[in-house]
Amino acid sequence: MNLLELEDVRFRYPDGSVGLNGCSLSITRGSRNALLGVNGSGKTTLFQHTNGLLRPQSGQLRYAGVPIDYSRSGLRELRSRVGIVFQNPDRQLFSASVQEDVSFGPFNLGLGKEIVRERVASALQAVGMEKFADKAVHNLSFGQKKRVCIAGVLAMEPELLVLDEPMAGLDVIAQHEFMAVLDDLHARGITLLLATHDIDFAYAWADRIHLMSAGQCAASIDARSLADGGEILTDVGLPLPAVLELERKLRSCGLFSREVSPRSHRELLSLLDESNTFEKEVS
Amino acid sequence: MLIEQSAYANRWRKASPAAKAFFALCGFVAAFAAPVPQIAAAIAAGLAIVTVAGAGVPAGRYLRVAAPALLFLAISCLSLAFSLNLSNEGGGLSMQWAPTEAGRIAQVGTRSLAALAALLFLVLTTPLIDLIALLRRLRVPEVLLELMVLCYRMLFVFSEAMRDTLTAQSARLGYASSRLALRSLGLMAANLTLQIWQRAHGLHVAALARNNDGPLRFIEPTYASARRDMVLAALGGGALIAISWAFS
Repeated sequence: MNLLELEDVRFRYPDGSVGLNGCSLSITRGSRNALLGVNGSGKTTLFQHTNGLLRPQSGQLRYAGVPIDYSRSGLRELRSRVGIVFQNPDRQLFSASVQEDVSFGPFNLGLGKEIVRERVASALQAVGMEKFADKAVHNLSFGQKKRVCIAGVLAMEPELLVLDEPMAGLDVIAQHEFMAVLDDLHARGITLLLATHDIDFAYAWADRIHLMSAGQCAASIDARSLADGGEILTDVGLPLPAVLELERKLRSCGLFSREVSPRSHRELLSLLDESNTFEKEVS
Repeated sequence: MLIEQSAYANRWRKASPAAKAFFALCGFVAAFAAPVPQIAAAIAAGLAIVTVAGAGVPAGRYLRVAAPALLFLAISCLSLAFSLNLSNEGGGLSMQWAPTEAGRIAQVGTRSLAALAALLFLVLTTPLIDLIALLRRLRVPEVLLELMVLCYRMLFVFSEAMRDTLTAQSARLGYASSRLALRSLGLMAANLTLQIWQRAHGLHVAALARNNDGPLRFIEPTYASARRDMVLAALGGGALIAISWAFS
């Protein structure tokens, strides 16, 4: 079932630049979605449409099959279901203390103090930041600030979590930790949509990959189907995932013959190890 | 930043801010009630010892934070010690030492010193976020608190932005000569002005995204031993006032 649908959405900024130019895409409930596209392709504009921060000049957005209601109460309802985590944490965190900032969203939902306290604690725990509850935001690292941003949105218990380039600026360790957080959120039943430039990450993580180009969704593909093709990526100026290129090369040299296609470097290595062990046992 | 460091890294960081504020208030009352300079000086020393030995604020840092205020106090006392006279004969200005004022200067100076020590005790042991939460509990108007929260947060965002700009400019010889430095400073001011506008807009959008349509509401922190802290603060504060009152 589709949770969010965009149908021929168009949006132009006041300075004349095109944000979205007839964009159509749909997000299935419970899925992991990666939005790929070069800078200026309309990813952030699309995100700001998902919870009504921007309103399409033409076209339609539907949430759970119902067209979005842009009245005050309609937006309130939508924003309690769709949470956005912005790219730059310093533009999202405006309270000086971690738990105060996380409590901001639930209070806006009109919840009582005790429920807010519970939600803040559970959101901070979900992102592994419970020890930092009474720390000042400016004393945190970049990665920690990003986690607090996610906790601030999680505390509102959204159905759809939209993350604008969450891996940008994170070191490798923080990226791995962040992926674990994302997996945990997905296991809780939250639908995820994130923007990224990293095709390798998108291929390894996502169920669906949406390709943005010049304000349009050029294609929405099942990530697994890339193994059989991939030309669609080159059409929008994106490279193939490195693991896929390597797999193809290994297959052409007769060094890899498994039916299953690995989605990450680590998966490929473990499949190669398994193949080697099997061949040794046979010989 | 020195105040920030101490506020977060002292032994009494987790103590109830209400208790610390009450103790500081008692310090103020004792300072103003002190009848003779010796008592006011003793109260100042007592408060400083409590801050350094009790809360564990390093003495060197304490003095560095106090230095600008002490300098200001010293200048004020000196200006009280001298009086300007307009001579009737020559029509010129002359400066005169006013020995009769010495007692009053000592009184005002030591009282100010004690009041400064009380204030330093509070700010060096309590982060501003705790103080803002305390003010919220004391029903200070929301709009003032929101301004305080945003200003405090932005202070760090902009000091970081300024540092980055300064480094980027220095790396391209932006401060190689006084003329270039002036130009670079102007460019940085212009750039930061634009950033303020952009960030204010960004924060507004972020607030909207989290369903905000009015006042900024935040959770209040809780303190496990608030009652015990308040009793201790009342005892300590009461002792300060008692000393002051006993000698009056």
